[in-house]
Amino acid sequence: MVDRLTWRAGFGPSEASRAALKGLSLHKAVDRLIAAPQGPLSGPEPVHNDGTPLKPLESDTDLVLAWCDRMVRTGNPLVERLTFFWHRHFATSRQDVSPPQLMTNQNDLMRRYSDYAANPTANFRQLVYEVGEGPAMLRFLTGENSTKRAINENYGRELMELFCLGVTNAAGQPNYTETDVREAARATSGWQIDDENPDAAVGYFNRSRWDDGQKTVLGKTGAFSHREVVDVVLSHPSHAPFLVTKLWHEFIPTAPSPATLRDLTRVYTRSGFRLKPLVRRILTHPAMLDSIKEPNMIKPPIVQAVGAMRALGMGITDDTLFQVLGAMGQTPYFPPTVAGWEGGTAWLNTNTALARFSLANRLLAKQYATLPTKAPEDVPGETPVQAFQRAHAAVGRPWLAKGTISSLRYYSANAKAVSANDRIARQRVLRAFMLGGPDAQVM
Amino acid sequence: MSDSPDLPMMDPGAAEAIRCADCARSDSLVRDLDPVDVMPISPEALQGFPDGVPRARGMDRRSFLRTGAIGMASVYAATQIDWTRAFEAAVAEGADPANQVVMIFLNGGNDGLNTVVPNGEYAAYLAARPGLARIQGPSTATQVGSTIMPGTGDQHAWANVGISGVGNNGDTRGFDTLWGDGSGGAGSDLAVWPAADYTPANRSHFDSRDYWFAGALQKMSTGWLGRWLDKYGSADNPLQAISLDSSISKQIRTAKAPVSAVQSLNGVEFRVDGVATNLVNTTEQMAPLSLVGAGADNIELAKAREVYGRTVQVSRSLRSLAGAPAAGGYPASNLSQRLQLAATLLSANLGTKAITIDWGSFDTHGNQLQSQDPQLTTLSRALAAFKADLTARGIEGRVLTLVFSEFGRRVETNEGGTDHGAGGLMMAMGSAVRGGMRGDFPGLTVLDRGDLRVTTDFRSVYSSIVGEWLGGEPGAVIPGGPFPLAGGALIG
Repeated sequence: MVDRLTWRAGFGPSEASRAALKGLSLHKAVDRLIAAPQGPLSGPEPVHNDGTPLKPLESDTDLVLAWCDRMVRTGNPLVERLTFFWHRHFATSRQDVSPPQLMTNQNDLMRRYSDYAANPTANFRQLVYEVGEGPAMLRFLTGENSTKRAINENYGRELMELFCLGVTNAAGQPNYTETDVREAARATSGWQIDDENPDAAVGYFNRSRWDDGQKTVLGKTGAFSHREVVDVVLSHPSHAPFLVTKLWHEFIPTAPSPATLRDLTRVYTRSGFRLKPLVRRILTHPAMLDSIKEPNMIKPPIVQAVGAMRALGMGITDDTLFQVLGAMGQTPYFPPTVAGWEGGTAWLNTNTALARFSLANRLLAKQYATLPTKAPEDVPGETPVQAFQRAHAAVGRPWLAKGTISSLRYYSANAKAVSANDRIARQRVLRAFMLGGPDAQVM
Repeated sequence: MSDSPDLPMMDPGAAEAIRCADCARSDSLVRDLDPVDVMPISPEALQGFPDGVPRARGMDRRSFLRTGAIGMASVYAATQIDWTRAFEAAVAEGADPANQVVMIFLNGGNDGLNTVVPNGEYAAYLAARPGLARIQGPSTATQVGSTIMPGTGDQHAWANVGISGVGNNGDTRGFDTLWGDGSGGAGSDLAVWPAADYTPANRSHFDSRDYWFAGALQKMSTGWLGRWLDKYGSADNPLQAISLDSSISKQIRTAKAPVSAVQSLNGVEFRVDGVATNLVNTTEQMAPLSLVGAGADNIELAKAREVYGRTVQVSRSLRSLAGAPAAGGYPASNLSQRLQLAATLLSANLGTKAITIDWGSFDTHGNQLQSQDPQLTTLSRALAAFKADLTARGIEGRVLTLVFSEFGRRVETNEGGTDHGAGGLMMAMGSAVRGGMRGDFPGLTVLDRGDLRVTTDFRSVYSSIVGEWLGGEPGAVIPGGPFPLAGGALIG
């Protein structure tokens, strides 16, 4: 249970978290995660391979690594997982957003809506207001160019399609019309960006550029502003099931039953769109423990990569993580599209399988390079089973299926072990296969 | 091999296109459909037949098994494929080469009015697009010019970024050299429809793409080419239709006929640093881990193991082989890489009837000039290079290339860019095609909610491709017809 929860709601277990959560019920463990403060980052500061500190505002590689570092060293991984969820949900890409402070400031904003120890009443409505009026979104969806003379429909469309409603409801009927998109876009016009001081960049409302006329959106009429049109959209009956289902699938691969969906929708709407009770309800749902003996959800690349770092007790000392995340198909701050990353089984193909194995191989190689021997220790009298066990402990004791254990033990027993070189190679192979093989891809 | 696997399809958009916000969402590919198998592609097949004489040079099963393969195709079909049978089917079909289509989808909604300028209504065009319009004549340091299209295009002008010459696309070839004299005769090898779409236009990327891919104004579980393959294609040959992408395009989605996705012809290994291959072949060592069974409902773990196993298969096939030679003359771009691969596959007598390519980032709500112009330059040069490549391989006469996008863009600018519109630009390339301006321009005076009125139903072009090119009854493939093509035959 502890491994399941720490992977799904974080980046995998450490020996410390295993000890801290051991014996708790799912409810108690979840309550502890949700209530835990972010705390100070632990471990050494991230550096380049020449030992110099990261410069996230000067290099996009460093920008990505700085967030990864936070995920690796945070005291409460759930906060970073949820922050990443909001990044996926309100996807904006550094590729279209400059200066980079717009991205880091948005990241901080999303983190405030993910830290329920500090912000127990954080709610989705306020989050949409702030993200929509924030400079990163205004730039990414070109809302800053939308004026009453030249309405830009980009944000108005995504507000409904991707952020709040989805195209159709559960019965397959459209949630909104093209006219609703155009009318909503009129309401959201007039926002601009003041980024003269990039560190304090803000979106601001310029009334003279706003279309102040009457708009009819989703059957309601008024001289709507941005926030008012967000309220109209959130009052749509499809909003709660849409948001609830999306958040559910961050943690659970199978669809919620109709009864569960009703229950979650009720929890969410009755609390006034608060996020903490909803997150808690999902994480404590029995479906979290489905297939507990055989993990059944593919780890997103960021979870796999950060989890491997944590399992090995490594910090960021070069740009390896940046490179492998790109090869695995998920670079934070660079979602491929405004719809974010697709996820699920779509993560895996021949290319990404190689990249995922390469992640384990490269991290292990980096770890060995820090040892005096520049390689795993040679233990001459070690039995094949001992070699297996030592390798398993060295990579953080990840889940392995019985069949996988048999297969790796068979390898361990039959691998050449005459010379030190043979035995070290066996140790290298076992560790890489445990950390980067097919079983390591699920949580 | 290096630690970073070669991922030719994943990097390049960044280099050549400023990705605009709304849409480069690649759901134009089918990702909910998992491949059933991976099929090797023989190196001998990929040598092609440059002299144009179709013959299956020694491509029997025995030599195939001996030489291995240099590429792998993900196979999509209703049932498991026996790849040796499939390969034999490919060889058998390849012995009788047929017409082929290449579908290039410009992802995001290309702005046709800034590609082919409505020069006959230049004042209205200029008025609608301050800051965005092309100027007339040569480009200046700050503004892109336009060049009148000869012959049937005399009321239109190419944006100079797409035509040949220094200060234009910088190459000796481009849209203009493909267009020729625009007469529809010899050397006039590009057909242009200035307002192709459907009515009423639905300005959603996703709905519009689905309609274009389905060849119908509704969402369908099969694509128009997929339905053609089901009815007229092979029951065994997954290489009859290939998406040069990580997944298959909805255009070639079938009910039962197998199709495939090919991303790269490069090989790969599971490598562990510090472990010599002659001590432990780590790729082979991965095979047993991929064969461990998973619970019946555990789709995701089963998928993880299956993909690792498939990777081992690919590695086995590629291990001893070098890459296929690629033709030169293309601009450096991801589109070029894929067109080079297309030319290789089309000339390999694999029974390939259709290839799809999903390329670019044309959703230019903002920064349109910076985003669209370099892509038009790349497209014009790559298309011309592709045609030359096909000609050198002796197969140009049997390949028809169609370039399309999910919609055109709003006539009036939104300051810096254009919003989703209707009436997009469609082009068909090939010496078999009757070139020239093949569709009416609807004019800028009367618009439909700010968009061009549609003068060409895209289904009429599809119907002609079925009836005149691939062969078959258009009504059996494109529902809701007939859709006669205005202005007569597509071919000729």
